[in-house]
Amino acid sequence: MLKKWIAAVTLTAVSAFAAPGTGLVTKKLELGSAGPLAFGPAGILFVGDSANASLIAIDTGDRAANPGAGNIELKGLNQKMAAALGTTPDQITVQDLAINPVSRNIYFSVSRGTTPLILKLDVAGKLTELNLDSISHSRVSLPDAPADVKDARGNNKRMETITDLGFAEGRVFVAGLSNEEFSSSLRSFPYPFVAATKASSIEIYHGAHGRFETNAPVRTFTTYMVANKPHLLAAYTCTPLVTIPLSELTAGNKVKGKTIAELGNRNRPLDMIVYTKDGKDYILMANSSRGVMKLPAAKLETYQAITAPTEKQGVPYETLTELKGVQQLDRYDAKSAVMLMLDGGSLDLRTVALP
Amino acid sequence: MRLLTVVLLGLCACAADVAVRREGQTFRISGSATGADIALYVGAGDVPPVFGSLRTDGADVLFQPRFEVPKSMACRVVVGGRVFPFPAEQTAPLARTTRVEQVYPTTSEIPANQLKFYVKFSTPMRPGEAWQHLRLLDAQGHPVDLAFLEIDQELWDRDGQRLTVLFDPGRIKRGVLPLSENGPALVAGQRYTLVADAEWRDERGVPLAAEFRKSFTVVAEDRTAIDPAQWKLTLPKAGTREPLAIHFGEPLDAALVLRLITLPAVAGQPVLGPEEREWRYVPKEPWKPVRYQIAIDRALEDLAGNKVGRLFDVDTFERITTKPSREAAFLSFRIE
Repeated sequence: MLKKWIAAVTLTAVSAFAAPGTGLVTKKLELGSAGPLAFGPAGILFVGDSANASLIAIDTGDRAANPGAGNIELKGLNQKMAAALGTTPDQITVQDLAINPVSRNIYFSVSRGTTPLILKLDVAGKLTELNLDSISHSRVSLPDAPADVKDARGNNKRMETITDLGFAEGRVFVAGLSNEEFSSSLRSFPYPFVAATKASSIEIYHGAHGRFETNAPVRTFTTYMVANKPHLLAAYTCTPLVTIPLSELTAGNKVKGKTIAELGNRNRPLDMIVYTKDGKDYILMANSSRGVMKLPAAKLETYQAITAPTEKQGVPYETLTELKGVQQLDRYDAKSAVMLMLDGGSLDLRTVALP
Repeated sequence: MRLLTVVLLGLCACAADVAVRREGQTFRISGSATGADIALYVGAGDVPPVFGSLRTDGADVLFQPRFEVPKSMACRVVVGGRVFPFPAEQTAPLARTTRVEQVYPTTSEIPANQLKFYVKFSTPMRPGEAWQHLRLLDAQGHPVDLAFLEIDQELWDRDGQRLTVLFDPGRIKRGVLPLSENGPALVAGQRYTLVADAEWRDERGVPLAAEFRKSFTVVAEDRTAIDPAQWKLTLPKAGTREPLAIHFGEPLDAALVLRLITLPAVAGQPVLGPEEREWRYVPKEPWKPVRYQIAIDRALEDLAGNKVGRLFDVDTFERITTKPSREAAFLSFRIE
């Protein structure tokens, strides 16, 4: 046993090698921050690193299916993470979770105090830290990175915070919000990342509300086929649900989303997934104060764009009031979702049958 | 059964000699059977062991936690089922020295469609708890519900010293549901107080030295785009290092004024005037009697998010036809 430990320690010798054609290089990964997560091609985990104004692709090497993986019911995830990291739960912030669709292991972006980390909960319930000392990864910078926009005093205070990530049609979509000028952006990066490629920056106007448009911040999004064409389904901070054809999301383009649902006031969208049940597609959305909403996703193209602010227009929705305190959700398998729920001071993780 | 236990102990005499010593952040385990499981734990209940690594040092095994385990926390090392407790040590609490240095805008009159505050701290803060400690109170001292855009990914600057707090744009924009149903967060003529409570923790985990309050009166909405043609200039004399000043006639966004108004041809230092109503520029070298040009990026905003030549929410008449210009506006002047 001891020999094994020693071997494990000595194996961390520094090496850097590139996998041809993928842009992935094995070396130490320095995270400035660990925000939104999303899985892409098999085993590739995308991490939003706002502090470094970059998007990172990590090859987790996690590509083996676990067919026997069962349901999860884990109470006090924050207490367990704190214990593993040698600290108290108040030092732990879980930023996001993503489930590896192949292995069903769950990955978390976590801050311990101010230190960013990626933790993995395997299907057996074992928590480990993704060792970044020598890991296959690639990184692409967001345009207008802070280094380019110093103020006249050479200060460097502008940051673009990545609010959500998604992978579809070979592209990573990144929603961001600036901490200075009121601008939100949606960018797309082809994956594998191409070093010299500038990301497409797309301005989305949320102009369906009467006659006023603003550059509206996208809070969370997912992708979905509408009329056989891939679309982005985006929820804005003021909770309308908007569809945008992916084909329109090209560099420098100005896109106007179509508002298909108003999800009510006093409500902030947190996370969203699409799933199929009994042959029908649904959208499941976690919200800050309205619980979890379920919307039919069939024939979204047939809904008229909403142009006047009226409660419950457009795609109808039902609120699943029994699901309280949902902070994050992701698809687990064909029949269930994993939800991270806050109950008092305890962050609980559980699988929930798709409604 | 008792006999069996004694016999087993006899066989594993080495286990009785196990000792664990804490050496700063390292735990030294002596006398351990090489095959024994060694783990460090903190916290109660069903918790996993602390992440860390083991190495040998002569006959001893050393456990090094992945992260520092503060001595103020109780912990225990378990060696082959035997528990070696390390009680929490009394440590002097760190001094509460961090303060809110300033909140921008500094003016005490704010338009009803105010878009954001910047809260500037004296040292880096810990992200992830802003919404527990920041409140907007009305004149009666009641919290204004859902005034801010409370996103999980808080909008800090790179140093973690300045937080950008956006008002919920849904309660500013005309024609959206939150505004029509909840009403605006700020009502003209009313007085409000922004409160950062003293329990907000800095990077070290230490609460603020004191609560911070900023009271202000709300005035009419600002639905006017920035028009540099209306600005007034105070020109210095050639041969001096007097400041050049632009008077905006209204407060503008503090961060953007310093970043987006530039005088590239002249080395110098821009500073904000009182209430962010002025941009002043002090050159390193005396002004020359020539023509100068100030560039103003059109992304510059006033307090309500109106930009140069463009309102925060544009009346589109149903179609969006033009892309807003990213080109700068310019102000030219001659120093005599």
